[in-house]
Amino acid sequence: MDCELTEPHSMDEALNVLSRYGRDAMPIAGGQSLLVMLRNGLISPKVLVSLENLAEIRGIEATQERKLCLGAMVTCSMLKASREIREMAPFLAQAAGKVASTPIRNLGTIGGNISHNELGADLPPPLLVLDGEAECRGLKGLRKIPLREFFRDYFSTSLQEGEIVCRIQLPSLPAGARGVYLKHSTRAEDLAMVGVAVLLVPDGSEGKRISDLRIALGGVAPVPFRAKKAESLLGNKTVVSQEFIKEVADTAAGEADPITDADASADYRRKMVRVFVRRAIQQAMEK
Amino acid sequence: MRVELQINGEKSLVEIKPAALLLDVLRELGLQGAKRGCETSHCGACTVLVNGEAAHSCVVLAARATGKEITTIEGLAQDGDLDDLQKLFLKFGALQCGYCTPGMIMAAKALVDRNKNPTLEEVRTALDGNLCRCTGYTSIFKAVLAYAELHRKE
Repeated sequence: MDCELTEPHSMDEALNVLSRYGRDAMPIAGGQSLLVMLRNGLISPKVLVSLENLAEIRGIEATQERKLCLGAMVTCSMLKASREIREMAPFLAQAAGKVASTPIRNLGTIGGNISHNELGADLPPPLLVLDGEAECRGLKGLRKIPLREFFRDYFSTSLQEGEIVCRIQLPSLPAGARGVYLKHSTRAEDLAMVGVAVLLVPDGSEGKRISDLRIALGGVAPVPFRAKKAESLLGNKTVVSQEFIKEVADTAAGEADPITDADASADYRRKMVRVFVRRAIQQAMEK
Repeated sequence: MRVELQINGEKSLVEIKPAALLLDVLRELGLQGAKRGCETSHCGACTVLVNGEAAHSCVVLAARATGKEITTIEGLAQDGDLDDLQKLFLKFGALQCGYCTPGMIMAAKALVDRNKNPTLEEVRTALDGNLCRCTGYTSIFKAVLAYAELHRKE
């Protein structure tokens, strides 16, 4: 592979190189998606800009207000093992543990995962229900992009040329919130045929009421997304009955826009959205 | 570009292309234990350790491995005497054609070096990036669990 590699030691230097080469440059974090795409001839950058030496985009920080700040270079293995994440958003740690395989989790990063926007990536659904925000930096400055607006199309995001994801910010969760991530795939190491994240907040007073319901789907549309119509079925006094869960799952399936490929037909994927949304809500209620 | 790589405890200066992959560089150095398989990070035949962690060397830039300790299957046997895990693979018949074996062994090493008391589930997870198309995985898991047990006794 004939391309150059630069290994900047500061963010300014990295952004300058990216800007100088424009479309011919690509940032490389863990390289677990990028190097495969390079080998398959899907991309042909002239310069790779390694983000490895940028200390400021490493590490996991939890604030006293229970907000989480995840550096773009945090790997899936780190997410899976992090004490803070296991405590504050355990389903995000579980989703990280479902990404591909151990060697890929050891090197693949959260920043790379969302920047590639591969169909069926495991991290976006939990990050979406957590109302995550991507902190992106370019020579023009800092942009904070809610993840709901970040994913644009297959393999495409709202990152502009020369911009990189630096951090993912997660606001604190309401007390008692329960999250679940379920993945449906042929082999465990595959991308998700259907990925479902659900976050709900029990009402406290009674076991069958909830005050918040968030659902995000991956693998079943050009981009991972929040199933807003399904979420909006929750009213003030809604009792979470089997009928309600079924209605939510059916509505979410209607919001999916899946493709047919070698793994599954669009119809099957839509059916599985129904099954896995129902299952995820049930599991979250039982926690 | 010229980089210094530390492989199996030995430092060597290597002339590489900037975007050269670790797998290619290792094989050109004559270390052919790490196999070329799918070359797209699925099969794990190219697994080596980078700072003790399993990595698919087909998706690691060699330049990125500078300053890190790289361990390949060639680094295990001492003076021709096979490593315990290699012996246990033989004992349990955990290989047939052998193509996946170096990768399997390195991935298992990464696990047991950190966790001397792994459950079967943990062994399965540690080897989830390694495919075997001959024997199935049962004998491999047995060999790894026996290796962990041996380590606990030491």
